[in-house]
Amino acid sequence: MARLWPVVRREYLERVRSRAFLIATVAAPLLLAAVMLLPAVMMNQQYGRPLRVGLLDASGSLGGAVAAALAQRKMDGAARFVIETASGGARATDEAARLKRDVLSGRLDGYLYLPADALERSSAEYFGRNVSNVADLRLLDQAVEEVMIARRLAGQGLDPGHVKRLTRRLDLKTIRIGASGGEREDRGASALLSIILLMMLYTTVIMWGQVVMTSVIEEKTSRVVEVMVSSMPSARLFAGKLLGVGAAGLTQFLVWAAALAVIGVFAAGASGTLAGVRLPEAGPLVLGALVVFFLLGYFFYAALFAAIGAAVNTPQEAQTLVFPVFVPLVVGTMCFPLVLQSPDSPLSTVLSLLPPLTPLLMFLRITVLTPPWWQIALSIVLTGLAIAAVVWCAARIHRVGILMYGKRPTFPEILRWVRHA
Amino acid sequence: MTKSYAGHVAVKDLCLTVPRGCIFGLLGPNGAGKTTTLRMVMDILGPDSGTIEILGRPADRAALDRIGYMPEERGLYPRMALDEQLVFLAEIKGTPRAEARRRLPAWLERMGLAEWAPRKVIELSKGMQQKAQLVATLLHEPEVLILDEPMSGLDPLGADLVRGVLLEQRRQGRTVVLSSHQMETVERLCDSIGLINHGEKLLEGAISEVKSRYAKNTVVLSYDGDGSFLAGLPGVRSVNHFGRYVEVRMAEGADPQALLQAASARLRLSRFEVMEPSLHDIFVAAVAS
Repeated sequence: MARLWPVVRREYLERVRSRAFLIATVAAPLLLAAVMLLPAVMMNQQYGRPLRVGLLDASGSLGGAVAAALAQRKMDGAARFVIETASGGARATDEAARLKRDVLSGRLDGYLYLPADALERSSAEYFGRNVSNVADLRLLDQAVEEVMIARRLAGQGLDPGHVKRLTRRLDLKTIRIGASGGEREDRGASALLSIILLMMLYTTVIMWGQVVMTSVIEEKTSRVVEVMVSSMPSARLFAGKLLGVGAAGLTQFLVWAAALAVIGVFAAGASGTLAGVRLPEAGPLVLGALVVFFLLGYFFYAALFAAIGAAVNTPQEAQTLVFPVFVPLVVGTMCFPLVLQSPDSPLSTVLSLLPPLTPLLMFLRITVLTPPWWQIALSIVLTGLAIAAVVWCAARIHRVGILMYGKRPTFPEILRWVRHA
Repeated sequence: MTKSYAGHVAVKDLCLTVPRGCIFGLLGPNGAGKTTTLRMVMDILGPDSGTIEILGRPADRAALDRIGYMPEERGLYPRMALDEQLVFLAEIKGTPRAEARRRLPAWLERMGLAEWAPRKVIELSKGMQQKAQLVATLLHEPEVLILDEPMSGLDPLGADLVRGVLLEQRRQGRTVVLSSHQMETVERLCDSIGLINHGEKLLEGAISEVKSRYAKNTVVLSYDGDGSFLAGLPGVRSVNHFGRYVEVRMAEGADPQALLQAASARLRLSRFEVMEPSLHDIFVAAVAS
């Protein structure tokens, strides 16, 4: 272990100090901040001033109630509408013309017209220069509708408040019963976490798996490989690479996560509308499993990339060999619905025990229903063994591949290297 | 040891013994199997058959840590700072980091690399990289040095520097193995040699002992007058003219004294020297037989 450490540190520092890492680590959160914060800031600007709305009531009966309802509508804690009631009745057309002039001159943002038969036909009209402020119009719509419904209910002799209480919408909660009998409310967080893991694995494999592979190839290009393998067994070199590059990837994830948290707080503060968004609820078991299976996935796939790097001399040669690495990830994704539907079926169990699929499918099973402990333990042990086996094969390929120049080896040739190294 | 690649035998039943505390030259023309042999010692290649002993014990990882190896294909991490890199390479050979850091400045100073310490290796010239590689080979203070073509690509000043370092290492009791196809380099530096060709050993032993096995059959003469009769003298196999002197190769068993008498009777000699056979001559003779 003491001899592994310098390799881990070297790999880590080389990645973390590279310009590409710096740009990706800093630029991505900045971009995200721009995407999330700018609209929020702009919305805030728009919401800054209450809307000045003229109210022209031709019905003669609704005006007062509507004005009162609108005055109560709030956004960001402040009243949203300033109402200016125009006298309706016989001179309605003249008043409409005046309101229109006020809107055009900018004294008003718009005016609401309640026709004489507004209640019967359940209709009203809003005139404004800007009619795309959806959030404001929804508030307006709700306020008028509420008044009309209340008026009709009252006409039937019913108490509007009473009716509202009676017709409350259903709130269906889904509650998972864990293996130990514990109960936990689940609002889709399980499936969400599985998708987060899948995304993390894809990104990691695509970004950091390739980094591991390039790092193996670059050692051959710069010829430093001969010094390295005369100083340590290839397997130790690879273990160091996987750990060092993995630590660099982890660093980036942590920076991103921290940035995301900070941006989230700011965005919530800025817009107010995001304040209600909460992180998915997940128990310590699921979060622990997320970390464990993510690491298993990273090490398994990165080791495969290392093996490819060991077999070739240039990144170009590697490209054709890279494709098969993604096959298990794609297959795993396609099995998602199957496992979600019946997580305890023999097929799901077997699939989730196959090392290339374990990181995705065993984790998915854990999130939807806790499988027996022995299955979880077995899957971790099997994947751990598979990682060791891949690293072992990669080391054997490396030993032959170091001094092989010329054409790219085919898969049967690589297998022969593994057998005869 | 024996090693073959895809039907081609690179090293065939080769057995060499390097005496401790000497400079040993592994000689042979290009493609003789020198690099393959050294790579097998360093466990970069596995021999098809045979065994390797290092410092009197069967070769293993612990033994390899006591060797400093400079491969024929030089290589350092191009984007890593020179000082960090050298400390790293010593660390993976088992030298504690602090110790490697303590030793480094003296070596960099000696190689004229001190001001380049924080620079990336890619910014160094070829010659500087070569010297850096030598420091990488020595920083963990190995008991045995294995250097594959250490002089190739060096200017005369660089070559002198390396020669000085190697002689110093020997004085400190370390064993140096170097490969070369330049016979002159080896002749001036090595105590012992092993000569191989086509993967097979032709000769092995201390240089003085190897030379004594070969008869002194070359005579160099400088003279005034017409020496064209020399070629016709009994016991003379060939005569090579080199402008200011001629080199006479004698037949086996012929006595140089007879040549001296015949020549001094008809020419004004300014030089008559019975030469030791050069490694070059020995090599040519060994390959020919």
